[in-house]
Formats: sequence, structure tokens, C-alpha cells
Amino acid sequence: MEHRSSPAAPFVFVRFHRALGSILTASAVLACLLAAPPAAWALSDPASSWFVDMNRYSRSAHASLTCEQCHGGMGGDESPHPDERDPEFLKVRATRRFDYAKCGTCHADAYRRYLQGVHAKALKEEKSPENPEASEKGLAPSCGECHSAHYAAAGQSRLETGLRMTEVCGACHPAQKQSYLDGKHGRLAIHLKSDSSAYCSDCHGAHITVSLKEREQALTACSHCHPRAQENFTSFVIHASMEGIAEKGEDKHRTVVLIHRIKSIAAVIVFLVIVFFFGHTFLWILRELHEKLRKQ
Amino acid sequence: MPTQSPSPQPVFQRFSVLHRFLHLVVLVGFTGLALTGLSMAFPSQPWARAVMWILGGPGNAGALHRFLAVVTYACIVVHFFWFFYYKLVLRGPWTGPRSLLPRKQDFIDMAQHFRFFFGTRNTPPKFHKFSYLEKFDYWAFFLGMNTMGLTGLFLWFPESFSRVFPGYFVNLAQVLHLYEAIMAATLKIVLHVITAHFRPSVYPLDASIFTGNVTAEKMMTEHPAEWETLAAPNETSVSSAS
Repeated sequence: MEHRSSPAAPFVFVRFHRALGSILTASAVLACLLAAPPAAWALSDPASSWFVDMNRYSRSAHASLTCEQCHGGMGGDESPHPDERDPEFLKVRATRRFDYAKCGTCHADAYRRYLQGVHAKALKEEKSPENPEASEKGLAPSCGECHSAHYAAAGQSRLETGLRMTEVCGACHPAQKQSYLDGKHGRLAIHLKSDSSAYCSDCHGAHITVSLKEREQALTACSHCHPRAQENFTSFVIHASMEGIAEKGEDKHRTVVLIHRIKSIAAVIVFLVIVFFFGHTFLWILRELHEKLRKQ
Repeated sequence: MPTQSPSPQPVFQRFSVLHRFLHLVVLVGFTGLALTGLSMAFPSQPWARAVMWILGGPGNAGALHRFLAVVTYACIVVHFFWFFYYKLVLRGPWTGPRSLLPRKQDFIDMAQHFRFFFGTRNTPPKFHKFSYLEKFDYWAFFLGMNTMGLTGLFLWFPESFSRVFPGYFVNLAQVLHLYEAIMAATLKIVLHVITAHFRPSVYPLDASIFTGNVTAEKMMTEHPAEWETLAAPNETSVSSAS
């Protein structure tokens, strides 16, 4: 008992360092919390190109098909081989040259739905004879832009399809991809790999691709998973990012700005409160340590 | 009211059995809520993956989050009803220096405490039963759990709430629930755990919330104003805590 006070000075230091360690850990935790989640899954395949890796083709869902079944004979007028002396040779995307109506031979429903959707309408506008530039190089997708006819694997799970879909759709709709990943559906479906959540096509349709700007359409989409939803429910904003806000309708524009504003205010308040109490605790510990050391 | 223990040092009861029990339940509930909730909010973080792996997926994490939310809020409800028991049966005062209500003295204490931090004052202010920081901690939790509960209900039953409110209220509930969660979890570490347990003068643990008892020595250093009223011979005091 008589040794009680002698080793106190280093002991207090150890204590203090542990307390400081706790503060640093808390700061690190906070820093982790505020860091943006990285998007770290790889996009496996781009759209079809002019060249085909037959090894991969032989493992794909279409492996049982011969080239001619989709491309026809190369000799006749039906589908002439591209002229290699043409300065534009291989410069136009292969997917722009192929007539994807061919896909409808086997995938009749999918092709019919595609023709009803906004992608097909956009493509039709681009491929007008008055505008050869857009006709050759426009971005509106046909089947091959999203699906790899040569390499797509068969028997993909819902989760595998969903992960890939997020990348494929996100290539042209990056703002929507980001807001989806930040939202609850994306966090559950993509980050947490829960296939009971919604992927792009669960709301927007697989081939019909509706924008869901109409409330009734949106309610139909929501009702698949939220059967008790009523019309009000559809003013919930799924893609609530400021990016690409100019394209949004007036109501949605106002809502997204409001959400963004409240987010900013909340962030400032949280920051100030945390800084104040960090400081309070830190100063208190310093002062008590000072008192302890002074009494030695 | 000092109760004599076998040791010569007198011991005072600071927290009743109910409050110690509620604290334990809330301790588990709040930690669980923070772990499950933040893992669902930041699912790409490695620690979130670890939590998800332990719990076996987001479905379980969500269910556990809701279960713990109900349990933690039940503590708030029990505590709320305890106030009536305190007032009607124990005849305790709701106001006064021993209560948890903020008083003018708390602001004076806080100013003096800051002067103590910066060395323009030699002693900390004389805290009564609850210091201004303990009161803030209490009210932050008591009110915060109500707002978290409200935004949480919006997220739990979005279809029902959007019958009455616009759907984008669910967006706002998401924002507020997340930001308040970050604030609550951080304050719980910085304000509660560190100042209540890890300060040099109390490190490593202030066991009074678990044992209910406080030694005279602790009373003199941590709650001197209360100690003075207890030490005064003819002063009566209510021994139950609040």
C-alpha cells in the first residue's frame, strides 16, 4: 500500500494514451462513415464489336447457333461483307450495322416490348435518312448495345443479371446509377447482394424501358413490391441526386432541391455539434491530466 | 440517504434498480441499432460487411434493427411512466437542483467549466446531482430516440405514411434518420462513453450505473453540491435517482 503513489506518473500517461486512442478511434470511425462508398465491381463485357473470340463464343448462351443463322451468308446481297478499302471500315460500331430485328425470330416477346419502349423510339429518330451522322454514330441502343450476343452466358441468377444490369444501364445513365446505388434499393440489391430488392428493370421494365414520369405508370411499378402503395407513394424520389436535375419534371425538381437543402442543413448541424463536443471532451481530458500531473 | 455498508466508507445510492436495468437494455439496444443501422447505410465498408456476415445478410440485419428499435423505445416508454410513479408515489420533485430539468445554474456551470479548461479558474464548478453535460446527454437521448423513432416509422411503413403525407417525406425521413444516427453514435462515444468512463479522473470505468452506488469520495469530487446537501445533518433528500 505504501507504493501506491510512486508509479503514478507513467500510469496516468498510459491511461491518457488509452483515452486519446479512443478519441482517435472515434475520429477514424467518423471518417469512415463520411467517406463515399467505392463502386468496385467489374464490367465484364462491352457491346459487340467487329471481332469475335470464338473460344468465348463457344461457351456462351448462343453457342449452338451457327454464324449464318444470325448473319446470313456473307456472299449474297442479303448481308454483304464490309468493304475493307472504305475509309469508314470498322469505324462505325458493329451494333449500328446489324439488323437486330433478327433477334426477334427467337426472342419475339422481348423484341416486341423493345419496339414499344423509349430506346426503340430514340433509335428510330436517330436512324432517319436526313441525319446520316446520328444514324451511324448515335447512342440510342438496340439489342446489342446492352446484350452481348456472342458472349452472354446462359443461366444467370437474378443477382448476376442485376449486378451486370447496373453497369450496362449505368454506362449511359451514370447519374441514375449513382443515385440508385446511394438509395435503399441499390444498397440492398448491389452492395448487400439481396435479390429481393429492385434492379433497374424491375421498375423500368426489361425491354419496354419506361421513364415512369407518369404517376400511374410509376404506381404500377411500385405496386409490384409495395402492393399497399397509393398514388402519394409515387412522389418518393428514387433517383434523388442533383446531377442531371435539369431533365427532371417540375415537381421532382422542387422535391430534389428540398431534399438536397435539408441534407446540407443536417450535415452542417451534425458537424458543428460533433466538433463542439469533441473539443469539450478533449479539453476536459487535457485539463484533468494537467491537474493529475501537477499533484505528483 | 447514506446506507452503511460493511466497509467503513459510506455508500450512496445514485441509480435505482429500474434505472440500472433500463440502462443495460438501452446499452445493448443502442449499440445493436448503431451497428445494424450503420452497416445497412454504408454497406460497402469492410466493417459493414463483417457485421452483415455475422448476422447472415441484410434481411436479418433489418429485422434485428427493428426488434432492437422496439425494445429501446419500450425503455423510453417505461421511463416516461416512471416519472408518474416518481411524482405520485415517491412524491419526488420534478424541478429543483436534483432534477434533470435544465436550470440557469447549468449555463453558469458550463461557462465556469470552460474557464476551468482554459486555466482561468482553478477548480471545476460544483456540480449537483447531474452536471450540465449529463443533463444534455440525457435529453439528447430522450428526445433523439423519439425523433429517430418517428423517422424510423416512416421508413418501416412507407406505404401507410404516404397515404397521409407526400411520398417524398420518406426521402426526408431517410436523410434525417441517417444524419441523426451519425450524430447520435458519435456523441454517444465522444460525450457519453469517454467523459463518463475514460476521463483521467474516472478511468477505466464509473461503475455506479451498474452497481447503483457511489462512494463518498466520488461524491465529493464529481457531485460536490449534492454532497454538501447530503452531508448537512438536517437536510432530507430523496434517495431514488431520476
